Parts: sequence; structure tokens; C-alpha cells
Amino acid sequence: MLRRTFLMLTTSLAVACAASQANAACSPDYSGVTLTVASQTGPYIASALKLGADEWTKKTCGKVNVVEFPWSELYPKIVTSLTASDATFDLVSFAPAWLPDFVPYLSEMPKAMQSGKDWDDVEPAYRERLMVWEGKIYSQSMDGDVHTYTYRTDLFSDPKEKDAFKAKYGYDLAPPKTWKQYLDIAEFFQRPDKGLWGTAEAFRRGGQQFWFFFSHAAAYTNNPNYPGAMFFDPETMDAQINNPGWVKGLEEYIRASKLGPPNALNFSFGEVNAAVAGGQVAESIGWGDTGVIAADPKQSKISGKVGSAVLPGSDEIWNAKTKKWDKFPAVLPAPFMAFGGWQIAVPKVGKHQEAAWDFVKTLTSPEVSGQAAITGGTGVNPYRKSHTANLELWSKIFSPQEAKEYLGAQADSINGKNVALDMRLPGYFSYTEVVEIELGKALAGQTTPQAALDAVAKEWNRLTDEFGRAKQLAAYRAAMGLPPKN
Amino acid sequence: MMRNDPIKHVFIWPAVLVVLAISIFPLIYSFTTSFLSYRLIPPIPPRVVWFGNYVTLLQEPRFWNAILTTTLIAFIAVGLQYVIGFGVALALNARVPGERLFRVALLLPMLLAPVAVALVARMIFNPTMGPLNQLLSTFGLANLPFLTNGHWALGCIIAVEIWQWTPFVILMMLAGLQTLPEDVYEAAELENASAWQQFWGITFPMMLPISAAVVFIRLIESYKIMDTVFVMTGGGPGVDTETLTLFAYQEGFKKFNLGYTSALSFLFLIAITIIGVTYLALLRPHLEKRR
Repeated sequence: MLRRTFLMLTTSLAVACAASQANAACSPDYSGVTLTVASQTGPYIASALKLGADEWTKKTCGKVNVVEFPWSELYPKIVTSLTASDATFDLVSFAPAWLPDFVPYLSEMPKAMQSGKDWDDVEPAYRERLMVWEGKIYSQSMDGDVHTYTYRTDLFSDPKEKDAFKAKYGYDLAPPKTWKQYLDIAEFFQRPDKGLWGTAEAFRRGGQQFWFFFSHAAAYTNNPNYPGAMFFDPETMDAQINNPGWVKGLEEYIRASKLGPPNALNFSFGEVNAAVAGGQVAESIGWGDTGVIAADPKQSKISGKVGSAVLPGSDEIWNAKTKKWDKFPAVLPAPFMAFGGWQIAVPKVGKHQEAAWDFVKTLTSPEVSGQAAITGGTGVNPYRKSHTANLELWSKIFSPQEAKEYLGAQADSINGKNVALDMRLPGYFSYTEVVEIELGKALAGQTTPQAALDAVAKEWNRLTDEFGRAKQLAAYRAAMGLPPKN
Repeated sequence: MMRNDPIKHVFIWPAVLVVLAISIFPLIYSFTTSFLSYRLIPPIPPRVVWFGNYVTLLQEPRFWNAILTTTLIAFIAVGLQYVIGFGVALALNARVPGERLFRVALLLPMLLAPVAVALVARMIFNPTMGPLNQLLSTFGLANLPFLTNGHWALGCIIAVEIWQWTPFVILMMLAGLQTLPEDVYEAAELENASAWQQFWGITFPMMLPISAAVVFIRLIESYKIMDTVFVMTGGGPGVDTETLTLFAYQEGFKKFNLGYTSALSFLFLIAITIIGVTYLALLRPHLEKRR
């Protein structure tokens, strides 16, 4: 009897110890929980989510199922699931521009996550602007996106090239300060017979095209004297996309399309990266992925020769209020936060809210996100202060000079005085679709830049009226960080 | 069981209700939606606009462009599919050497998913990495703007449609050819009719009913083209290759403009009906002559 009691006691103790050990290994314990995340097709972003999922599984014993959809299908899939109050997804990853459309269906970020060291580490451009909608936080940035400039240092430092450039254009060959200089450089290096072309940008409809055009136009339309007036007049909500600043931006964007590799008109951002990493072009603009991919010796022919800088700017910016060009004493860069970086949010109908927000915390922690940022192909670019401050982290992929320029360009762009925010509006796709269509016509020479943008402005104004001008104006002002209009 | 046995209702009504639920009700719902201004994103409460959506669509150049593009693709692709398909079917029917192998090999494209075919085609026509332009470069020729120029892009889509769907025409025409009576040809041989005369005097007229059916099926199917265009060009450049179904998809599943999309679907239905009825009316005298 005594022996039996002793055996039972020992067994109970062993079970209790094992259970407490398991709990210690799973902290917090989400064993048995499987989260489903909607993502665009990998590797971009989906692989970053998987990286975060592995860490979260190790920590909490929960599982994450990343469901991938092609980029063009992601928005409809998420909208269909959200509007049907369908709990298919516990988390959704998406573009900040879609946030206004999703907000009614998303849960607010727990207050505990909105403070502390990790929270303060997120760059203010994201934490205070892109993650906020009408004063509330519904999503967390998991990627930082700002367009920067990339160039080949071997070409730019070649004495022969430098002399020839100066002789032709009358100024030194260096990363361009203005878009005119950018086009001069592209023209100078346009040597199809040697397999070298000037620049690479995305020009294909559905291939991230319009963000590249916006980057050109930001330099001439994001006026600090009348903030928030790049896309619409923040007083009247009248479309600004056909003003002289935008027309100038489009003319230069079209010119850039003629200084790229053959059939550059079919380039999406993927082809831009391939052209840069393949050493086909002297310079390019785009997201931070370009620099990371170009630096990777496994993917690039120009590894070790990658330079980065802030986007070119202008010393003349169109003022939408006075309807005149404002002259500035020096060139003012307007780094464009194209796309604004992927965000992740938790739908209200999700069954595992707590676990889902815990996954967000792990995914976007400085350690996990830092690792994702230096891994080529994850699509994650710096969005935390710690990402750009940690030179040691970046020395794994960049030479010291490359790292200095890359991180400098990223940090200077995000924290730039005249940083241009991307458009975020309810009905976003309706607004951008017409831009894509008219850009296609203008790039193909079927219409003039002015006529193309007039058509866009007409449709934007019609859409604004259809959606409710006052409602859209309030949303636009919120997106641009302007106070509500009385 | 007697004709007036009430038990018949037990068998008939479930089927009637199922048909009503899965086909008639959505049709009626969609029809009523076409009279509303109804957007899911941004959420706008539905508002009755009666024929507003139809009027807007009929005044929309993009709608007419989509009709023209779809019609071009359908008529050119189906025309060429018919000519090539009939030719190949005649060859196969003449029992050429290796006929069985050809028969299986020629059917393969039809068995592939259109999305997969379009993806392969997009790679082939890729401006920098595609084998076609690489071949041109090898011969010192300039690269062609296969998918970046409206006319070229339309040509590429038509070429892919022909490649994928000619096998269907071959299959149907071959089946038809194999049912033709031998004695008519024997009589023609005795009359010293040439192969050309035999084709126009016997084969073509006797194949007219099946030809009419094949062309009709392909024409209707071609008007519904979506996946090939979506993958190859996304409707671009601009809207140069945008078809009616792609236009409806953009409005319905990108912009969630449900009322407008429903109206578009019904206009599409009307257009297809007009084309179908006109086609059959034009063919009727010829088909009746064969009876």
C-alpha cells in the first residue's frame, strides 16, 4: 500500500514538473492555437512573416499559417473576408493605403503595445503617421518603405567617366541633387552597344508603376508652404494631379522610360532590381530592397559597388494655393514614402485576438525585424531607429561605405524635413486605377502628359463627389497629418 | 404511376427549387443590383438610380473599347482557329503517318489551364529574358515590344488563344469528318472530281452544321476571355487589351462597385445574345438548305 502511494506521488510530481517545464518553454502558452495570416505571394513579405512565425512558434508553441495571394489578388481577398465578417484570417498584412478601407473591420492595438522601448524605437514617420487613423492605432508597420536612389559607385568614381561627364554637362558626376541631373546621368550612361543603360524604374501597369511616378512628382508638388497639398487641395479636396508640378514630374518620368533597358515599359519593381543587380543600369530609384539585393554577391554582379542617396529634389515647388511656383534658396529633397511599408493588423472577427497581437509583437520586435531587414528577399526595409543605427548588423551584407550610404539614405529620407506621404484614402483602388490607365497611355505616347493628368483629375473629382467630398476631405486631412477642418 | 399522381410534385419541386436557388435567384438579385448605386468600398448605402448605371456605361469610352477589344480577339482568334483546326483535322483524317501521335500531341494545349499557358506565354514574350527577343538579338535584330505596345500585345493574346484552343476545333472537326459517308466520295472519284472540288462540293457543305456549332461555342467562350489577358498584360498598356470580363473584374473585385458591375454584366449578356442570334440568323438559310 505504502509502495503504491509512493509511486503515485512520484508520478504526480513528475507530471507536475513536466507541465511546468512545458509552460516555461511556451511563454505565453499558445499551444493548440494556429493563426492564419493573409500575405502577398512570397518571397517578399511572406518570407518575413514566416521568419517571425518560426520565432513565435519557438516562444509560444503556437503555430502560424501564412496564406499567400498574388499582389493583385490580396486586396479583394482581404476586403471580401472582412466585409463578410468571415474569420478566415486572424491577421492581415497590407499596404497603409488600404487602411482607411479596412478600419471599420479591424481591432485596435492593445494599449500595452503602444508604449515602451520597442514602441519608441519605431520611426515617428510610421508610429505617429502611417500607423494612425483618426487618432487610433489599428495596425503595426512591419516594413519601412521610402524611395531612395541607387547608383553604381564603380562608374561614378571612374576618373575617365568623371572627366567625360564634366566636359559634357559642366558639373561633377555625383549622386544627383535634382531630377534634371538624374536624367543627365541616365543619358550619359545610355550605351546599349555595351549592355549598359541609364536608369531603371517600374513602368508596367500593375507593376508598382505609379509610385515611381509619384516619386518624380513629389519633388515639384510637396510644398512645405502649403503642407498636405500634393494630391488634393486640403481645403477643398480638388484634385491637384494635373497642376504644372505634376505635369513636370510626368514629363521627366516619361523621359526616364526612354533611358532604360529595352522594353523597360514592361518593368515592374522585380525587373528593376534584376536590372540593377545585373549591372545593366548606372542608376535607379526604388525601395530599399534594391540596395540589399544589389549588395548580395549571390544575386548581384555589382556587389561591393552599390551606392545610395536620398531621392533628387527641386528648388522650385508648385504651390496649390497661390497657383504659382515657389522658389527655394536651395534644392529641397522630397523623399517619397512610396507605399509606406507593409502593415499588419488583426480583424475584429478573429478568434485569437490576444495571440494575434502577441505574434505582431514578436514579428516586429527589433531583433526579428532587424534580421528580416538584412535578409535579401524578405522585402523588409528599415522602419525602426535600431535598424539604421546598428552598423554591425548591416556589415553582414554591405561594405562599410555601402552600409553608411544605404543607412544614411534611409534615415535621411524617413526623417527628411519635407518627406512626402503617400496617398491614403477610402476607395484607394478607384483613385489609382485611373492613374495607371492614363500613365500607360502617356508612356506609350498615345496622349500628352497634360491630357493624361487632366483625365485623372477629372475622374478623381468625380470619385470624390461620389464617395462624399466632406468625408473624403476629412480622411485625406487625417492621412496627411492635418487637423480636422472646422 | 399515373400522370396526375400527386407524388410527381415530390420529385419535381426539389429540383425546381434548387434551380431557382442556384441560378434564377442570383440572376434576379444581380439584375436588381444593376439599378442601384451600390459600393462596398468605401461603404456607401445602396441608392436606386434606375437606368443610371446603364447610361453611364454606354457613355463610357472604356466600355466601348472593351467591347471592341473583346470582339477583335474573339473574331480573329476563332476565325484562325477554325481555318487551322479544319486543315489539321483534314490532314489527320487522311491518315498521315504518325497520326495517332499527332492526335494526342495536338490536344495537349487544350488540356492545360489557361493561367498556366498565359504564364508560359508571358515568359516567352518577356522583353529581356524571353527567348523570342533573345533570338531576335542573336540575329542582330531589334527587340520587339511584345507586351508593351497595344497592337503587339493584342497580337500576342490572339496567338496564345489560337495555340490553346485550335485543338478543340481539331477534335470536333475530326469527329465530324469521321462520320461522313464514304460512298459520296467514291461517287465523286468516279466523276473525276478533284480533291479541291470534293472539299468544296462535299466535305465543306456536309461539315457545315458541325462547323456552325464549333464556331458558335468558341465565339461565346472567346467573349468570356479573362485569365489569359489578366496574366499576360493585365489589360495594358493603358486599356489597350482590356476585355469586357477584365473590365467587369476591375470594377467588381478591385473597386467593389457592385451596381455598376451588375449593369456591365447584363450589357455583356445582351451583347453576347445579339451576336449569337445574329450569327445563327445569318447561318440559318445555309443550314436549312442542308436538311
